[in-house]
Amino acid sequence: MYQLLPSDYQGQEINRLTLAYFVISGLHMLGAADRVDREGAINWVLSLQAHAKNEFDLNNGQFYGFLGSRSSQFQLDDNGAWIPNGSHLASTYCALAILKTVGYDLTLLDSESILKSMKNLQQSDGSFMPIHTGAERDLRFIFCAAAICSMLENWSGMDKEKAKEYILSCQSYDGGFGLIPGSESHGGGTYCAVASLRLMGFIEHDVLSKGASSCIINVPLLLDWSLQRQAIDGGFQGRPNKASDTCYAFWVGSVLRILGGNKFIDEKALRQFLLTCQSKYGGFSKFPGQLPDLYHTYYGFSAFSLLQEPGITPICVELGITDVDAIGL
Amino acid sequence: MHGRPRKPPTPEEEKAYDAKAAKLRSLQTQFLHFHHNQIYTKEALEVCAKLVESNPEYITAWNYRKLAVEHIVSSHSESDLESDPDCIKSIFKEELRVTERALAKNYKSYGAWYHRKWVLRKGHSSIDRELQLLQVFLKQDTRNFHAWNYRRFVAALKNRSDEEELQFTTDMINDNFSNYSAWHNRSVLLSHLLEKKVDGYFPKEKVLTEENDLVHQALFTDPDDQSGWFYHHWLLDQIVKIKTPLLVYTWPPHGSNLEVWVDGCLDVEGVNSSTITIESSMHDTNKDLVWKPLSTNNSGRAQAWVTHLSFLEEKLHFSQANPIKVTMGHSEGIKAVSDMISWGDKKFHSYEARPMESSQINFSNPLKNSDDNDLMAYKWNAETVANEISLFRELLSETDCKIGKLTLARLLTALDAMILYNKTSDSNEVVHFEEVLELYSDLMKVDPPHSQFYKDEYSLVLLQQLTSTPESLLRHCYHYRDSSPSSINSYICLRLCNLSLSRIGSIEQLLWIQMLDLSHNHLHSVEGLEAMQLLSCLNLSNNKIGSFSALEPLKLLKSLKALNISYNEFGAHSVDTRRYSCSSPLNHTVGADWNFGDWNPIDGIDFTNCWEAFSIFKDLKLTQLEIIGNVIAEENFKLFLVKVMPSLKWLDGVELQ
Ligand SMILES: [Zn+2]
Repeated sequence: MYQLLPSDYQGQEINRLTLAYFVISGLHMLGAADRVDREGAINWVLSLQAHAKNEFDLNNGQFYGFLGSRSSQFQLDDNGAWIPNGSHLASTYCALAILKTVGYDLTLLDSESILKSMKNLQQSDGSFMPIHTGAERDLRFIFCAAAICSMLENWSGMDKEKAKEYILSCQSYDGGFGLIPGSESHGGGTYCAVASLRLMGFIEHDVLSKGASSCIINVPLLLDWSLQRQAIDGGFQGRPNKASDTCYAFWVGSVLRILGGNKFIDEKALRQFLLTCQSKYGGFSKFPGQLPDLYHTYYGFSAFSLLQEPGITPICVELGITDVDAIGL
Repeated sequence: MHGRPRKPPTPEEEKAYDAKAAKLRSLQTQFLHFHHNQIYTKEALEVCAKLVESNPEYITAWNYRKLAVEHIVSSHSESDLESDPDCIKSIFKEELRVTERALAKNYKSYGAWYHRKWVLRKGHSSIDRELQLLQVFLKQDTRNFHAWNYRRFVAALKNRSDEEELQFTTDMINDNFSNYSAWHNRSVLLSHLLEKKVDGYFPKEKVLTEENDLVHQALFTDPDDQSGWFYHHWLLDQIVKIKTPLLVYTWPPHGSNLEVWVDGCLDVEGVNSSTITIESSMHDTNKDLVWKPLSTNNSGRAQAWVTHLSFLEEKLHFSQANPIKVTMGHSEGIKAVSDMISWGDKKFHSYEARPMESSQINFSNPLKNSDDNDLMAYKWNAETVANEISLFRELLSETDCKIGKLTLARLLTALDAMILYNKTSDSNEVVHFEEVLELYSDLMKVDPPHSQFYKDEYSLVLLQQLTSTPESLLRHCYHYRDSSPSSINSYICLRLCNLSLSRIGSIEQLLWIQMLDLSHNHLHSVEGLEAMQLLSCLNLSNNKIGSFSALEPLKLLKSLKALNISYNEFGAHSVDTRRYSCSSPLNHTVGADWNFGDWNPIDGIDFTNCWEAFSIFKDLKLTQLEIIGNVIAEENFKLFLVKVMPSLKWLDGVELQ
């Protein structure tokens, strides 16, 4: 199915793994896992893994994870010349999320080399570069790293303490989290912060009922900020005074779920808002009445899953995928 | 992609899309060829430029540019530089131009902004040029967080002063009071200036007062906008620490009837036999006392700490006073979890207990300290908060503003807490419970999306009100006399029924309670009850508790014998919300001792789904349980309960064999 995407997505060729993640994880959420060519998906994802030539290469500062798509993958150079390796944290997160979702046994992967080389991406301030050749560092990639470690059940790939310090330095004066220290609070940044802290075990599930005062982040302020993101039309906005947008129902809704504050969400109003964003062809758009896209469709269904919509599989909010354990039971 | 409004395409547009995509693909093929073969010619760079200008999110292309620039710069020999000293500059100038064009295409492109930062870090461009560029972007979208982030980067890199940047936020705010991003940046800058005690920003009082005037202006101009309110919240926190003071209670209070043991209640960590000293004629040493935090997590911190004193029987005199003195030894060892007041070297007041005192109802007394400095600070804080209160009352008399009401309610609550904490016996300052309750019920009506949140707040305030004076509390106290003739037990029962409580609070005032009726409320959890160590009978019937794990705090109540959880929502939610957390029940810690081997299944009954109930009830030593009126309470489940709790004598009013 990921080969039949509308032309609009062609510019995003480098992000094929991300799109595949939306499609496959989304189908699982809808209980349509049988529509996925499981073997095909596994083989395709595995073909995008970058491999170090030898043990020595793992320390050369490069990251050996997954590539977004084949366009950033180079053929092996017989002369041993420098080969660009475009392994990206986000692609690696998506690759593992797909594999986990379709029930691939992740212990079959060479996780040692992923984790060992991933450590090269962590900076002294605790943040992560997404790619060894350098790019913007922010909370998104701490989240990817934490989710990768969590899915591989091995935390040797990152220094959790340092990552924690970086995350804490991103909490803004209003309680939300910006993507980098000093920046304005943002729904996505706040999700990355809270989900990462939860994955790393620095905050408990439902801290609101387990003593918010001893939590390492300012929970009451964060709760206030998050609740205020539900706008008058029932949807969630990413920042104050911005229009409600489908995807923030998931980003901010998940934060509230992790904190144990989801009981304060007006679920009825949110459901109504989301339905106005649902297209007659299926799928969700960013704003009401627009054309749907994969990104908002995935997070629209995720939001409905948070609302415990019948027929939609529960999700593991801090990983952003269907709750494999819950289905397995 | 994300963030661009989309409309259905017309056929012409479809055609254009196709042509564009084809062009993009051909550019990409060429580019990959150059990249692969490390070709850094002018032509190659131009292809790359076209590519990032039409797809600014293409990180690989940006990274290629960096490699190319570094390659070209390093291949320039010294003689080249002599003949054309500006050639390096012009290379970087071109990079600046490429990012500008890419940003014009998509100003949200992380890759383009990052590339520009890279050029700047190499020492190129000027502050004026960058500020000019930012002017354009911030005019286009005053909330563009990429631009604001970049602005902070440029200001730091080029050593622009915080004052200049503060002035910029002033201009932006004066332009539009609703510019949340500008307020945010203002808080960052002002924090720096205050922290560094920059000239004109120290002492801070004058600055903060002016700042408060500015934000008041914004609030009165557009009361419904959140920007000012969030800033106001932060600012007030800089002016006065309006956190609820840390009230430290002990129970039993001074002069009370002491039976066998003593409770300490400290919202702290580090309570142990060296930080708290207990002296009495009945036991010899303080050293062996073990203080345990009462908490459902393992943080080592709790509101209530318990120690058990064992008295030597020969020293215990039943007919006379057995004074016990509790003092704080090395106060440095005890840390408040929340930094509400500093402990310094303050001392706890000691108390003595005497038997056979009048009432069974005992009030926990806050242990406090009346230091002169504290009193001064209190007066200043109370006055400031009172000023804000009257200002917002005025505002709300003209407009119906939700966040204003919430702020007012919080300010009143903060003031009340200050008043109650500093109250001397002869002061009769008014507390504002009624006004706060009214604000919250109002908010429930005008802001239905957040009504559950307001309801919780309402419950907390209501409980504060009920427990604020002995008189008001007595109104809810009842005598309960055991009907069986053999028993002479007489309990005092606190009945807090039908109050629409959705949350429990003010536990510190209720530490003495043995019998508590919370029926006919809207409770989802019993968080906090773990501190009521004397509790033996608890009625939670007709509430909204939906999962057994919500009863976790009850496991810490060692005296609990009778529990009524009838007519709740146990089993009513097919999917427990906790299942959304990642841990599967079977590797859940509480499930670790859930061993089917030990369980002789009762004829074909499947207990697999009872792990949650098991983890709670196995630790309760109940003699009586009411569970009728819950979806889960069918016969099989009752059989299960009888098996888990051998101590159970009555189940749903039926005496067990
Ligand atoms: Zn969105």
